[in-house]
Amino acid sequence: MTGMFGRLNGHDTADFRKRFQRLFIIVLIAMTILTIRMAYLQVFKGDEYKLRSENNSVRLRKIAPLRGLIMDTNRQVIVDNQAAFDLVYVPSRVVDIQGIIEKVEAFYEKRGLSLNNDSQLTGKTRPFVPVRLEKNITMSKLAFVETHALDLPGVVVEVAPVRKYSGGEMMSHVIGYTGEISKEELEKREDDELGPGDIIGKSGMEKFLDEYLAGKSGAEQVEVNVTGKVVKALGHIAPLAGHNVVLTIDMEIQKAAWEALAGKRGSAVVIDPRDGSILALVSTPSFDPNLFNSGISKRDWDRLSKDPLYPMENRAVSGQYPPGSTYKVVVAATALAEGLITPDTRFFCNGSFELGNRSYRCWQRHGHGWVNLHRALVESCDVYFYNLGKMIGVDKLAEYARSFGFGELSGIDLPREKPGLIPTKAWKLSKRKEPWQVGETIPVSIGQGFNLVTPVQLANAFSVLANGGVLWRPRIIKQIEAVDGRIVKTFPPEKKRVLPLSPEQIEMIRQGLWGVVNEKGGTGGALRRPEADVAGKTGTSQVVGLPQDEAARRKKILTRRFKDHALFACFAPYKHPEIAVAVIVEHAGGGGAVAAPVARRIVDAYFHLKTGRAAAKAPVAQNTANERGGQ
Amino acid sequence: MKFDRQLLINFDWPLLGIVLAICLIGVINIYSTGFSLTSAKVPLYLKQLQWIIIGLFFMLIMLAVDHRILIQYAYIIHGIAILLLIFVPFYGYATHGSQRWLAFGGFSLQPSELVKLTLILSLARYFSDHGTQTLYSIKDLLTPFTILMVPFLFIVRQPDLGTALMLLIIFISMILFVGIRIKDLLIAGSSGLLLAPLAWYFLKDYQKERILTFFDPERDPLGSGYHIIQSMIAIGSGGFCGKGFLKGTQTQLKFLPEQQTDFVFSVFAEEWGFIGGVVLGMLFLSLILWGFKIAQYSRDLPGTLIAYGITIMIFLGVFINIGMVLGILPVVGIPLPFLSYGGSSVVVMMMAVGMLINISMRRFILQP
Repeated sequence: MTGMFGRLNGHDTADFRKRFQRLFIIVLIAMTILTIRMAYLQVFKGDEYKLRSENNSVRLRKIAPLRGLIMDTNRQVIVDNQAAFDLVYVPSRVVDIQGIIEKVEAFYEKRGLSLNNDSQLTGKTRPFVPVRLEKNITMSKLAFVETHALDLPGVVVEVAPVRKYSGGEMMSHVIGYTGEISKEELEKREDDELGPGDIIGKSGMEKFLDEYLAGKSGAEQVEVNVTGKVVKALGHIAPLAGHNVVLTIDMEIQKAAWEALAGKRGSAVVIDPRDGSILALVSTPSFDPNLFNSGISKRDWDRLSKDPLYPMENRAVSGQYPPGSTYKVVVAATALAEGLITPDTRFFCNGSFELGNRSYRCWQRHGHGWVNLHRALVESCDVYFYNLGKMIGVDKLAEYARSFGFGELSGIDLPREKPGLIPTKAWKLSKRKEPWQVGETIPVSIGQGFNLVTPVQLANAFSVLANGGVLWRPRIIKQIEAVDGRIVKTFPPEKKRVLPLSPEQIEMIRQGLWGVVNEKGGTGGALRRPEADVAGKTGTSQVVGLPQDEAARRKKILTRRFKDHALFACFAPYKHPEIAVAVIVEHAGGGGAVAAPVARRIVDAYFHLKTGRAAAKAPVAQNTANERGGQ
Repeated sequence: MKFDRQLLINFDWPLLGIVLAICLIGVINIYSTGFSLTSAKVPLYLKQLQWIIIGLFFMLIMLAVDHRILIQYAYIIHGIAILLLIFVPFYGYATHGSQRWLAFGGFSLQPSELVKLTLILSLARYFSDHGTQTLYSIKDLLTPFTILMVPFLFIVRQPDLGTALMLLIIFISMILFVGIRIKDLLIAGSSGLLLAPLAWYFLKDYQKERILTFFDPERDPLGSGYHIIQSMIAIGSGGFCGKGFLKGTQTQLKFLPEQQTDFVFSVFAEEWGFIGGVVLGMLFLSLILWGFKIAQYSRDLPGTLIAYGITIMIFLGVFINIGMVLGILPVVGIPLPFLSYGGSSVVVMMMAVGMLINISMRRFILQP
């Protein structure tokens, strides 16, 4: 090499020659050290390390964390964790997996059991990453596999926590469910905290609060022997349990609402009008979230997702229905606030209302005669509100509807909420490319036509009347706590808006609603309790425009699909309301006949529960009891 | 450029050949680490290839500039690199809990990598100004020490222990090369040792942990010790012949952490075995010895010092990184030159090689 670098010119490097010679030696020594070390590891100890790696005797295993508990407002646990046993196999140790599966099946068969395996085994597997054969196996299967471990090399039982939803179907729309992270979800995540097979929240609270509930995975490094048994634990990082969540839901009221709606299709929402807390939120038909624990089977999933009644949909926030006569409170509020009527303004109802060459019917074919605001609300006179609607105009009405929270997302912390629809002239022009017809305002003023509301909006709107004009953001999460009880996050009540009505004007409407339940001729008589403390409004929303012709009308009503939705919304006690309730029963008929009895059961249950709890608490906590009742 | 033709004749093809061979091994190796990743948008090996091409472009620029011009502006260039370093806390974004990166439009730069090169230039400038005829005393070394300490402190604060350590060792190597009085060396060495406990106080917890783990890997088998245990299993299990390309179980099953960066050699040694390791080692050895030859036979003193500094930088990177993954040095986070994935590292290394070739091919040219 030196020959090539014969010095032709430049500075004299002779004085450096020695230094470079030393340098060469240092470098050679350094490289020799590395080579010797490499030879030691790869040649001398190579076989030992090869064994450790090829048997994969050292295995890093993720330990799934416990998800946080979910509790109701009284700290009753609704969602818990329980141990589940998964049957897995390690591909590197199984030569003939089909043979092993047949063996397991044969073992099972002897005991009258069968292997539930929905997953595809043909997919790409990694030699040392366990593949699941069967999820959440029963105790008898577990005992069986454990005793035959020697006949089933490579097949191991793994323990993993799964969710236990004690609320079952009753709570599934609020709580949601968990499941294995999907490929799409995995790709969307920025961090590499989660891998295939990890559990995440898929809907409801489980999804919305996943970052709090999830906790952090631990890890375990273990040395395993040829049969896959752990022989030595090398290290352990404990998983971090997720935070616990306290909801505003009261399980007892939830249960009452669920039972009241049993066998029906629809939704019920109970709100505390004093702060917007959701006490109950039910949607039927429902599904059992526990089904998802074992990785829902294809059959169950098909059954749920193809059910024409949509059990997976949370009707309380995603179901949009015409509000029917319950919407009359909005029309009344608008007319009063705009000074278009006084409580004594009267209109004559002869059973129908004429506008141009069209005629709009009142539900009472013979007419209500002369009616003022109070009678119109009590008897739900359509003609009275047709008159108001015509005076107000659709855009003004929409403005007030928004102060009740209609036509926009309520902001409840549940996924897939829908905003409903409050029509305006601008809306029609942009969406339907047609100008608004005056005639269309008429059905809108009795809550038919384009109007759509969700049950949670309806309950919240009645909560506005109940508390004297405050629109709250519905609140379903009370707080999030760490395992040690430290409060991580609170969700204080949030005031969205105040109804632009004087207290006297609100009281006029409230009196009308009281009359609906407690006066002769009122449509909500089903809620008449001895205490005379409920105020509410019935509603019946037409699913399709019914023919005017009586015979055709009868015929159509008989087919269930065209039957009206029944609605009822109310609050109680009248003087100092503690609950606002909205009930919608799909395709059931009239609100007074179908929805009101459901609401009655919920209201009864609430007050029954209240007296029960007060009696139990009285000796110890008289003060708090007084405080609650005295507001 | 009237010497163009002569420059081309004297172009150091063997050096470029060795570097490109090492780079190619690097790309193939990174391909193997990314093999089991299915969802990556742009494969890492393609990105590395792209960085190498960008690096070659920078190498060309370095070839066009006479190293005496670099020496002339050495302090200014060093100053600019330090300014970039200062901007890191404001504009940098953090990966793995430390801020080292500056983002420029599409690609990000790690100024601390650049500082290694500008430090070498600045020290070469200082020592060629002051000659190598007499030995240096501590007092003479105050200016070079300042040249080191300004970027050093900023890099320690990021914190990037590996690069800071690298700067320190480059500095010491340069001083030992130009010569220092034995007495002064002893004083500097002992005061350094006395200050070490103070430095310990400034280290972050994870850095202390890494040093402690070096002395006892089993101390934390899932934390820092996990890296080194898995790395040793990977290398050891490669055996004499290796497990074969894409067949490294430690790599493919992700037992091995930071495969594309600090532990890239473990991947290589697992799949290519002792034979592969020795081949790669020979390539590095010839690169280093070639570099020293260039230094020795440079036309002028600045050329010698620059070539020496760059070669020492490559040598230290190779020795510390491989020593680290072999479990004989602490895990300090120093990339393996040309093999570890990383844009700034590759580009800076290519620039350094450009300077080497530059010095090599100009050694025959008569002074104008």
